[in-house]
Amino acid sequence: MNRKKNKKNFKTPEGYFEGFSDRLLDRMSDIKDNQESSLLPKSDGFKLPDGYFDSLNKNIQEKLNDDIPKVIALNKRRKFYYYVAAAVAAIVLLTIGIRTNAIDEYTFESLAKTEIEDYFNNTELGLSSYEIAEVIPVDELEISDILDNKIEEKNIIDYLDNSIENIEELNLTDYEY
Amino acid sequence: MIAEETLLNDLKQLETQAKAFEVLVNTYKERLYWHIRRIVLNHDDTDDVLQNTFIKVFKNIDGFKGDSKLYSWMYRIATNEALTFLKKNSNKLGISNSELQDKMVSNLQADVYFEGDEIQLKLQKAIAILPEKQKLVFNMKYYQEMKYEEISEVLNTSVGGLKASYHLAVKKVELYLKGD
Repeated sequence: MNRKKNKKNFKTPEGYFEGFSDRLLDRMSDIKDNQESSLLPKSDGFKLPDGYFDSLNKNIQEKLNDDIPKVIALNKRRKFYYYVAAAVAAIVLLTIGIRTNAIDEYTFESLAKTEIEDYFNNTELGLSSYEIAEVIPVDELEISDILDNKIEEKNIIDYLDNSIENIEELNLTDYEY
Repeated sequence: MIAEETLLNDLKQLETQAKAFEVLVNTYKERLYWHIRRIVLNHDDTDDVLQNTFIKVFKNIDGFKGDSKLYSWMYRIATNEALTFLKKNSNKLGISNSELQDKMVSNLQADVYFEGDEIQLKLQKAIAILPEKQKLVFNMKYYQEMKYEEISEVLNTSVGGLKASYHLAVKKVELYLKGD
């Protein structure tokens, strides 16, 4: 039978291919469809102390109260001096602030490279290689993104000249350019 | 169940705050407990993380803009708190995250609040070696039977991506359980 003719005679419901990947993923993730689903136990064996949830509210309230600092009323006469001191401090700060503000603004560029490197070294970013790969498109990566000094073609040839005795050792095939 | 919007309004007003917070804790305590427990495994640690979660929710409720559901916002805080707790723990002990996961599962055998059999212990070992995201998706979908749309709001990942992650996680867990 003619294959081309067969293909012409068959039809698919409207929008079949548009929703196909969604339906497939649904099916893949639905373990009821999976024969091996019985392997997975439905309960996980965890239990908790009796009456734990009954006392939870009280425990959270206690912790919250500990967290909120108590307000202590200030002596009225002292209050006046506090206001005066605060006003003087505010004026001094404002004067200094206006003068220095323009200079002390931090920008991304003003951060030293070492500070950024330190941050990455000391902070647990928790990114897997897949997650990093998701945000950094490999196609747009240049060697200069990784290395500070640009490698000239001449340097590569020099390196190969000095380090490789036999060019055959590189084992280049026609496809490896 | 009390409407989310009413609860939110009550939480933001000083006079109704205490009562509303009690309702909030009572409504979500069990769900959040089990969510955290499956990440940190041990009851006492779960208790700590759960209390911190509710305290963070209470302190930051004014900053909640309502872009997502209150429920998914709380789940997100609980997830972050639990993962941060694990990271702090591994830093404190000077071991990697996977070493910590190993240690946590081994500790289960001596845990008075774990009465799982051999299969259930093996299941925990299998879950422990999953990548973080797959582990979260597996627990949320398999044990908490959350909808993909809900998980998507909590983890900020597309529904398609979640389905693929879940499928991979189930396959890996099954493969581990089949092996000796």
